[in-house]
Amino acid sequence: MGGEPTGGAAAIVSFHHLDQYATVPSPITAAPPVARLVGAASVAAGAATLPLGAWGPLAVLAIPVLASAAIARLPLSRLLARMTGPLAFVLLASIGLLVLVPGEPAAHLGPVAVTREGIARCGFVLGRAIVALGAAVVLVSTTSFPDLLHALRVLRLPLVVTAALGLAYRLLYLLVDELERLQRAARSRNAGGGDAGRRRLMIGVAAAVLGRAYARAERTHRAMVARGYSGDLPSLQAWVWSPQTVLVLATLVALVAATSAAAHLGVL
Amino acid sequence: MRARSGAPRRGFGLPAGTLMAHIPDGFLSAPVVAGTAAASAACLAVAARRSRRRLAEREAPLLGALTAFVFAAQMLNFPLGAGTSAHLLGGVLVATLVGPWSGMLVLFAVVLVQALLFQDGGIAALGANTLNLAVIGAGGGFLLYRWVFALVGDGARRRAVAAALAGFGSTVMVGIAVALELAASGIVPLRPAVLVIGGAHVLVGIGEAMLTGSVLTLVIRSRPDLMTVVAPPTRAARGVALVTLGVALTVAVGGVYLASTRPDVLTAAATRFGLTGRETSTVTPPFAGYAAPRGGPWVAAVVGVMVLFVLAWAVSRLAARRRS
Repeated sequence: MGGEPTGGAAAIVSFHHLDQYATVPSPITAAPPVARLVGAASVAAGAATLPLGAWGPLAVLAIPVLASAAIARLPLSRLLARMTGPLAFVLLASIGLLVLVPGEPAAHLGPVAVTREGIARCGFVLGRAIVALGAAVVLVSTTSFPDLLHALRVLRLPLVVTAALGLAYRLLYLLVDELERLQRAARSRNAGGGDAGRRRLMIGVAAAVLGRAYARAERTHRAMVARGYSGDLPSLQAWVWSPQTVLVLATLVALVAATSAAAHLGVL
Repeated sequence: MRARSGAPRRGFGLPAGTLMAHIPDGFLSAPVVAGTAAASAACLAVAARRSRRRLAEREAPLLGALTAFVFAAQMLNFPLGAGTSAHLLGGVLVATLVGPWSGMLVLFAVVLVQALLFQDGGIAALGANTLNLAVIGAGGGFLLYRWVFALVGDGARRRAVAAALAGFGSTVMVGIAVALELAASGIVPLRPAVLVIGGAHVLVGIGEAMLTGSVLTLVIRSRPDLMTVVAPPTRAARGVALVTLGVALTVAVGGVYLASTRPDVLTAAATRFGLTGRETSTVTPPFAGYAAPRGGPWVAAVVGVMVLFVLAWAVSRLAARRRS
């Protein structure tokens, strides 16, 4: 299992938990990152925009997600575990639909009625979210962040954004750790008691992290310029589009387009 | 330092509005997804061109640092009291530091990282989330900041107060945009959406205002060079700001008058659950039912809006003085 942190030097804060299947040899990881990104985005967009109640087309779009996870040798348990956190937020956001959607009451929670239409809509929104989430998790599990950046550059995202993302990637977990250290230090000095004290502490910590982020970014940038950085971050790996990759991606995009069109036209 | 076993911990116990600031996949219809993506792409294209002209070679370290900072700061739960908390959205804070165009790019980068790496906000909903948090949050928030800045005048503390008020306003605008997108997608009716999500964002906006104003005050004190240069308001700019304030007040008065003729969501809900007539009050309100004893609803609307304006003005001036 390539890339999984195993302790010692590997335990340094990293993104390895995200892309731990990126180095597992498979047809998915052999495909260029832009093909993986386009494939995952088309399945996610296709599933997320299906008309309400189109359970059949949703099941069709779930197949490529499960198939790509199996081909990438990403265990189902791992896929589901990675989906649990984001799904909790989706669940919290969609639970309001049970009572906000008008319709025939199915049950009463105190003075509020849970409607049948609300249950149906909440269920389908969750279904769409699960398939789209699955596609995103397969993508992020099989693609390293530098490869994702490469794909975004190929897709002509503004250079300034990819450069900023590249630098942010280097700083992100350092800053998160710094934030936790600052909070721990403040707590050990009994700072932040009560809501008002905690607010003052949060403001101080946020301002300190902002100052340190700037200082660190300026240092990193100077070091990058000294090593020849001129605004672009070229990828060292040359990706080759094989005929099979082109064929599989074209088939996938056509499947998503056909399923989506059939669902919107009420054929499927 | 230690390895993490998943996405960075994000706080629970957040108001509903905070959760919906990043719309997940599955909530938006195809036309809304396509429309918001096109609008965001157009705005980002302009932002990329204008930002390059403004920041030149400083842009990568500045924007990278701010992207990482906003992501990290969004993990801080800011207590609002009464058991509620919120986290920073950061649009106005970032825009006051690097300008609106670069601010939009920073917020887009944050939304992109959150969607791609942590599935916080959907891939298909990326356009809508970019429109809400980057274009409206940072770009629209900066417009609000310029407007309030022209009204309150120049000075370090006034800048912080203007940013705080703009932070509040932009957060409410984000909440209303989310509600409109969900309603346009046919997921939830418009009125409850605006009431629940917009209302939650009013709470979130209070935290956003506190954080934006306070962090900016500390930045102005310690690193004033980090602030984007905004010229002090001229007499003409002040005049325009006052005219737009007048227009806003007129619209608000009209809105209050129109709103008073129809039952609102709470009244409708109370009627539905048979709660009308059960309410008790020990105080007799001066303008019960939005009607003044003399002059009817028009007088009530004008007096109500003027009282609110004077109160908001007094609070902002007091806050500006105390920050000094």
